[in-house]
Amino acid sequence: MLQARALSKSFGGVRAVHEVTLAVPEKMIYALIGPNGAGKSTLLNLLSGIYQPDAGELTFRGENLIGLPAYRRARLGIARTFQKIRLFKQLSLLENVRAGFHIHQDAPLWRYLVRGGSDRYDAEARELLQFVGLGERMHERAGALAYGQQRMLEIARALATRPRLFMLDEPAAGLNAAEVDFLLQRLVDVSRRGITLLVVEHNMDLVMNVAQRVFVMDHGVPLYEGTPREVQANRAVVAAYLGGEFAA
Amino acid sequence: MLVAAAPWLITTPYWRGILVLCAMNVLLALSLNLVMGYTGQLNLGQSAFYAIGAYVSTILIKAYHWNFWLAAPAAIIAAGFLGLALAAFAVRLRGHYLAIASLGFAVITYQVLVNWESVTEGVRGIYGILPPVGNTLGLFYLIAGIALLVYLAMDNLVRSPVGDTLRAIREDEISAAALGVNGALWKAFAFGVGAAIAGLAGCFYPGFVGTLVPDAFNIVESFTMLAMVIVGGMGTMPGPVIGAIVLTFLPELLRGFGELRLMIYGVALTLVVLFLPGGIASCFKRAR
Repeated sequence: MLQARALSKSFGGVRAVHEVTLAVPEKMIYALIGPNGAGKSTLLNLLSGIYQPDAGELTFRGENLIGLPAYRRARLGIARTFQKIRLFKQLSLLENVRAGFHIHQDAPLWRYLVRGGSDRYDAEARELLQFVGLGERMHERAGALAYGQQRMLEIARALATRPRLFMLDEPAAGLNAAEVDFLLQRLVDVSRRGITLLVVEHNMDLVMNVAQRVFVMDHGVPLYEGTPREVQANRAVVAAYLGGEFAA
Repeated sequence: MLVAAAPWLITTPYWRGILVLCAMNVLLALSLNLVMGYTGQLNLGQSAFYAIGAYVSTILIKAYHWNFWLAAPAAIIAAGFLGLALAAFAVRLRGHYLAIASLGFAVITYQVLVNWESVTEGVRGIYGILPPVGNTLGLFYLIAGIALLVYLAMDNLVRSPVGDTLRAIREDEISAAALGVNGALWKAFAFGVGAAIAGLAGCFYPGFVGTLVPDAFNIVESFTMLAMVIVGGMGTMPGPVIGAIVLTFLPELLRGFGELRLMIYGVALTLVVLFLPGGIASCFKRAR
């Protein structure tokens, strides 16, 4: 579904991502792991169009993505969340999710001038808020939510774009155990709807129990790719996480 | 109702003139609020579009003998296109950089009006401009009616999905892009529409005053509009209307204080910004 070949990106001489080749198959939960500074977030930014790569190829369902800005990629069905949560903080939960339906709005502009209102996707937006457990609070300001709830709201907002590929950057970071459980359930539900998931994550529960394939990065380069079981058994991966001496 | 009754409560010609000015200021504040309040673009160049509306309509009427009702739409379109031209640069800039660039744009426009004498008559000004409607009362109803229509249309717009999109850009442009929002396009839309509405207000100014000089569109005008939007309540619909009314009448009511007038005005502005960061409109919200 998503294919990257030899994707590279440097920042002032630092090779954040170097010749990464990966293929995310359709309808899979695909995890991207690696120690801090491995280049996971940079890779996600390259895939979603926040950054453009210095070199390499990138296609999504056969379409070339290189040079396409983020908003065009969203229209092709690529949604994402951010490691550092980026909500519309001053807006209500409902407004946040409603904004996610932007690409599906097709009424002509003049109609909004004479009629206003935006109830077309309201019901669907409410459903999404229910889905992430925030249905009761839809009129509150997004900035007033607790951290874990903000993460869930960001997920609901991204789902409003009706993505084919949904990329999440450390969705479990900062969540308590109960919240992580809820998140895992929801991700499995999303996956069952036929949406492909690409998850950058440190939480090993999430990676080992939910992901079907795991891609490991270190120092900007791919280290290993395989099933969670294979990854756990791989010496290079263990070494990268725990330091060289454990690999011996 | 209150708007319709206002001319009966205020009967002296001088104060009726202020009413007309107030209606124009409401339009200007609404125009800036769309760009600044809803889309979050700190635009200090709004006086330029006001000027374009005034000059284009007047020159078409005086030099080319156009009818006002033809000249006005042409002037509005001209201002709108100039807004898009500014947007072409502005969409790459944010915050303070945009403020400086748009301020520069207003300064350039002012200088063009002063120095392009063959067309604008420069500082000598254009005289003997007739209003589209003969008497002050009629002019007030005309502009107030237009302002009301603009208000209603904009109120619908900001409650529509377009409003969601503009606010999303204001709050976080990168996340908006991740949702498929073409930020440059929608910012240009806000700039263009905002400029066209300011141009619309500009069409009425020369006929009301009777003369047209560049000094009427000094960059101070931009700051006055900014003050109206902020004092009234940025990013709300009633806010800029309240701000425009208060800041049109306040300086006039303070005339009795002579030299102290501007000082009191300044202190009042500072107090509002300090103690009511959401503007006067936020008081009503809190009271409810």
